[in-house]
Amino acid sequence: MTGVTSVASLTPWHRSVLGTVVLYLHFVRLAFLKFLAYRLRYYTGVVSYTIFVTGHYYLYGALFASRVVEHGSMEGGNLIGGLTLTEMITYVAVSWIGRSFYFNNIHRDLSSMIEEGGISLQLIKPYHVQDVMMFEAVGESGFRLVMFSLPIMVVVVPLFDISGPPDSMLYLWTFLSFCLALVIYSQINFLLGCLAFHMKNIQGVLRAKMVAFDFLTGVILPFTFFPEWFQTIVAWLPFQGISYVPVTIYLGKRAGSDLVWALLIQLAWSVGLYLAGRLVWFISVRRVTVQGG
Amino acid sequence: MEPIIQVRDLTRDYKLIRKREGVKGGLIDLFRPRRKILRAVDQVSFDIQPGEMVGYIGANGAGKSTTIKMLTGILTPTSGQVTVGGLVPWRQRQQYTRNIGAVFGQRTQLWWDLAVVESFGLLKKIYEVDDDAYRRQMGTFNDLLGIDEFLHQPVRKLSLGQRMRCDLAAALLHEPRVLFLDEPTIGLDVVGKENVRKFLHEIRDQQGVTVILTTHDLGDIEKLCRRVIIIDKGKVHFDGELDTLRNRTGNPVRLTLELREPVSSATLKEMTGNLPVSWQAGEGLRHQGEFHRREVTGAEVIKVIVNACKVSELHLAEPAIEEIVARIYRDVQEGES
Repeated sequence: MTGVTSVASLTPWHRSVLGTVVLYLHFVRLAFLKFLAYRLRYYTGVVSYTIFVTGHYYLYGALFASRVVEHGSMEGGNLIGGLTLTEMITYVAVSWIGRSFYFNNIHRDLSSMIEEGGISLQLIKPYHVQDVMMFEAVGESGFRLVMFSLPIMVVVVPLFDISGPPDSMLYLWTFLSFCLALVIYSQINFLLGCLAFHMKNIQGVLRAKMVAFDFLTGVILPFTFFPEWFQTIVAWLPFQGISYVPVTIYLGKRAGSDLVWALLIQLAWSVGLYLAGRLVWFISVRRVTVQGG
Repeated sequence: MEPIIQVRDLTRDYKLIRKREGVKGGLIDLFRPRRKILRAVDQVSFDIQPGEMVGYIGANGAGKSTTIKMLTGILTPTSGQVTVGGLVPWRQRQQYTRNIGAVFGQRTQLWWDLAVVESFGLLKKIYEVDDDAYRRQMGTFNDLLGIDEFLHQPVRKLSLGQRMRCDLAAALLHEPRVLFLDEPTIGLDVVGKENVRKFLHEIRDQQGVTVILTTHDLGDIEKLCRRVIIIDKGKVHFDGELDTLRNRTGNPVRLTLELREPVSSATLKEMTGNLPVSWQAGEGLRHQGEFHRREVTGAEVIKVIVNACKVSELHLAEPAIEEIVARIYRDVQEGES
């Protein structure tokens, strides 16, 4: 009997490097197309983000004005948390524009996939779910940049007279920093989503995350508003790399080696969280119990 | 021939928490949960040859899906071995999944918001199918399933039958060696079921794919599989040819009668006196009897009854798959005691 073993054994297979690149770029493209189909949803988002920035604009305006009354002049009281009023408004606007770019719902998508059992269909595909979700997030953010962040900029920048960074090269560094923020944000979300493998109901955790995140990333307030000990803690956490770091780069608060160092720390967190995600995924899948059956 | 699928003593336990009742019970559960181990699959062993189409059947909760999940590498077993073409499904996942296809009847693997053709384009890249093979496979699928007509529609707008056809094509695009089908005809109408069955037949003959199929529909098994494996409470209770199974249960047929005039079952028994039909005891217009095909044909029984009394309706039914499984299981229990 010739060819018996060839009948009964499966051919070894590895996707080529080029094939892998093409595949993941395809996920970027598909995610872009998918969100494009739902673009109407984002027009209301432009309004709500603008309202948010407007709220902060008047809040900080009042805060700084009260300082001026206290000190009798602008001289002593024009800095709060190390920022001038103009910088403060810029901080708020840039962090919300950034948030409109890097935001995604990987944690929710992954956890509901695990809870409802749809994960089965992912596990029988020859790809890494983590990588697929990361590249889909890139596609989503590409869509967000064009259809969401840009419209917000068009509205918010002239409305509040938001100024550019002190050095025009900082546009580039800020964008690069927000791209790393996207990786950090996505990987944290992925890790949170993996919790669903081990917990029956993680909706509570995800809701707590929504609130905690905007604080820990520095979207709500710059860290310089907080006490020393809080600043020390957040400096050792990955969250500052999501909003605080890119926004302070934009404001020109980090120059030279400070800037390089900030970007390197973001990069290190990106890689570290990605590897952690890979490890957690590997362990979780080994003890997975898919619903039903 | 060397089997393509080898399963040895495959076992899977689930840990369950048994909830206590009431508020007090809930509080106790928080600190001292009562754990219970449920053995979903218990020492299952079988071999499957290349090109075979095997029906894997059992009632809900019998352990079918759990077995399929372990065979597809989704679930890691508690103990036991599985090799498919020399690979261990849950270990060499990437390599393994390139060689298998799966359809889970309740779920679609197509991308919900995208046109069908976009999903196929993505699958082509996922499995690195080259252009020639892609064109050839899509041609075959169109010939057999007529999928061209809705290729450009988003998946969410397809009917269940159309979606199932696309899902089957999607599972076979990369010419897998083994195909796992979990309830492939669930929810389909008669025409839909027939289409799916015809397609699977063709594909098996053309591409020599090995198929494992779980189903509730005895029709699927009869049309597609020569061999069946019956599982109940996690254990294999039957593994063999469909004909052997039939003979073991005697292939009972149930006859339901609606009469114009009330008759007692004793009278019916008299009428069919020399035929091996057993009637359920009862009076009135409605009666049920059972006979075995190898002993008597339906035509003979019906002829006698129609001649003897006024019949308004009659209905012949083969037992459902659950019933056969229940019979097998009962036999086993009787054998044990």
